[in-house]
Amino acid sequence: MTGPAIRVHDLVRDFRNVRALDHVTMDVPPGIVFGFLGPNGAGKTTLIRVLLGLAKPTSGYVEVLGRNPAREGDAVRASTGALLEHHGLYERLSARQNLEFFARIWRMPRHTRDTRIHELLSRFGLWERREEVVGTWSRGMKQRLAVARAVLHRPPLVFLDEPTAGLDPVASASLREELARLASDEGVTVFLTTHNLAEAERLCALVGVVRRGMLTGFGTPDALRMGRHSGAILVTASAGVTDALIEALGMVEGVALATRAGGDLRIEVRNGVTTPDLVRWLAAQGVDIEEVRPERATFEEAFLSLVDPASGTTQ
Amino acid sequence: MIRDTWTVAHKEWMEILDQFMRFRRGGWSILLVVFFLGIFVPLQLGPGWANFAVMFFYWPFLTSSMTSTIVSDSVAGERERHTLETLLSTRLSDASILLGKVLAAVLYGYAFALSNLAIGMITVHVRYGDRAESMSAERFFALLALLGASAFFVAGLGVLVSLRAATVRQAQQLFGVILLVATMLPFGLTQVLPTEMRERLAAATSDLGIEGIAWWTSAACAALAVVLLTVAIRRFRRGDVDLG
Repeated sequence: MTGPAIRVHDLVRDFRNVRALDHVTMDVPPGIVFGFLGPNGAGKTTLIRVLLGLAKPTSGYVEVLGRNPAREGDAVRASTGALLEHHGLYERLSARQNLEFFARIWRMPRHTRDTRIHELLSRFGLWERREEVVGTWSRGMKQRLAVARAVLHRPPLVFLDEPTAGLDPVASASLREELARLASDEGVTVFLTTHNLAEAERLCALVGVVRRGMLTGFGTPDALRMGRHSGAILVTASAGVTDALIEALGMVEGVALATRAGGDLRIEVRNGVTTPDLVRWLAAQGVDIEEVRPERATFEEAFLSLVDPASGTTQ
Repeated sequence: MIRDTWTVAHKEWMEILDQFMRFRRGGWSILLVVFFLGIFVPLQLGPGWANFAVMFFYWPFLTSSMTSTIVSDSVAGERERHTLETLLSTRLSDASILLGKVLAAVLYGYAFALSNLAIGMITVHVRYGDRAESMSAERFFALLALLGASAFFVAGLGVLVSLRAATVRQAQQLFGVILLVATMLPFGLTQVLPTEMRERLAAATSDLGIEGIAWWTSAACAALAVVLLTVAIRRFRRGDVDLG
């Protein structure tokens, strides 16, 4: 397809007196992992529901794979897979029965169905336990099975609401690899929500940050960090930085913390002290300064500044 | 849509069978019911067991009871177990999801009643040999129609209750009360009719015979089931359903 996989224009969704989505506009290109980030209750699940046609927009326009889910919901759902807020597995059925049920829903022919189920259960390390009732499984195993179910019919677009929640670090890493492979090798668009910012930064080509239903940030993780600094300054010096100086610097009024960071001197400042003040102080102590620059915000700091403007990170 | 309905019904059956095979949540009680109704009662009533007039109340009641145990779980159960949203996120149409659940419940009630009937027949024939009475074809088909129609009526009612209930327990409690009222209402209404009307009604039903009453009751149940299922399908729409 040539257009965006997902197009959201001026979308508003109200629940009685609560505005869950507030004039959200964004385009998600096909074949990438897109991260939709925000605190609990920010509107992430509501957007997925609107995109799947499970909730109607109050106003605005939404297009998924070129179709309007409010009017062509069946066609949209036929081309998508989803792991929603809850894993949605039938706990009284075995793993194989769960996947067989969904394969029947997607009308996969018997041979394709069996091969695909074998392939996915093996890839997610669940093949040996395929006949066990899912209700007896750990949360992580259920989560892996739910991801397998979402991609069972090879949809071009997959919605995954916190897919790595409850997974151990090894399983999370393996799932991240799998999602990256889906996007890069199979051209699948992955719409992902997660609270794991390191995961989002590593995996997502593009992220959207939502706060109280409003899209407060949209771009690559690098672009969101760009132009924001953590509130600390980094000083590169060719000579004069000693342990005694660092200790003395820590005592200066307005300095919260002074440490070595790589080859640099990292100074966390409080309100009231300016960079020129510090440069003058350092020069007076005999430090041979080569470069002074604001420390770039981490992705987490950038995210916090987008969801909580009082979080200290500055633009 | 028929294929999708069958897919959903098949899944429901897998869950019911699993529950039965593991003797969880009522598995044992079902075996007790089979023993009591399929073996004990026929032995007590003797060789004419199959043709007792009371059986025309007993079998629909059994079918309805068994259907009701499954259907109250249909939507409320999916909602409570957080599987409803995932099901709705698939390509299945709203109607096929709902009808699949109804079909599974109806087949369960129907199969349960018929298997009890068959066990009863075998029991009576084994115990009484040639003295055991068989059911006439006319009576048998009237009974089949009545079982099916009453099961669909109960399923239609139950799925409407299940749609509104937040939990399975709430659905079962509410449905129990509604079924009680629905069962008692015809008897109560005949009591408040003037004597002359009651006599005319008695004469009319007497003329119809037990099979005729069964066919008319089946028709009424089927008509009500169609109305109830239509209302349920209209109410069960993505975007309007409470996902819990």
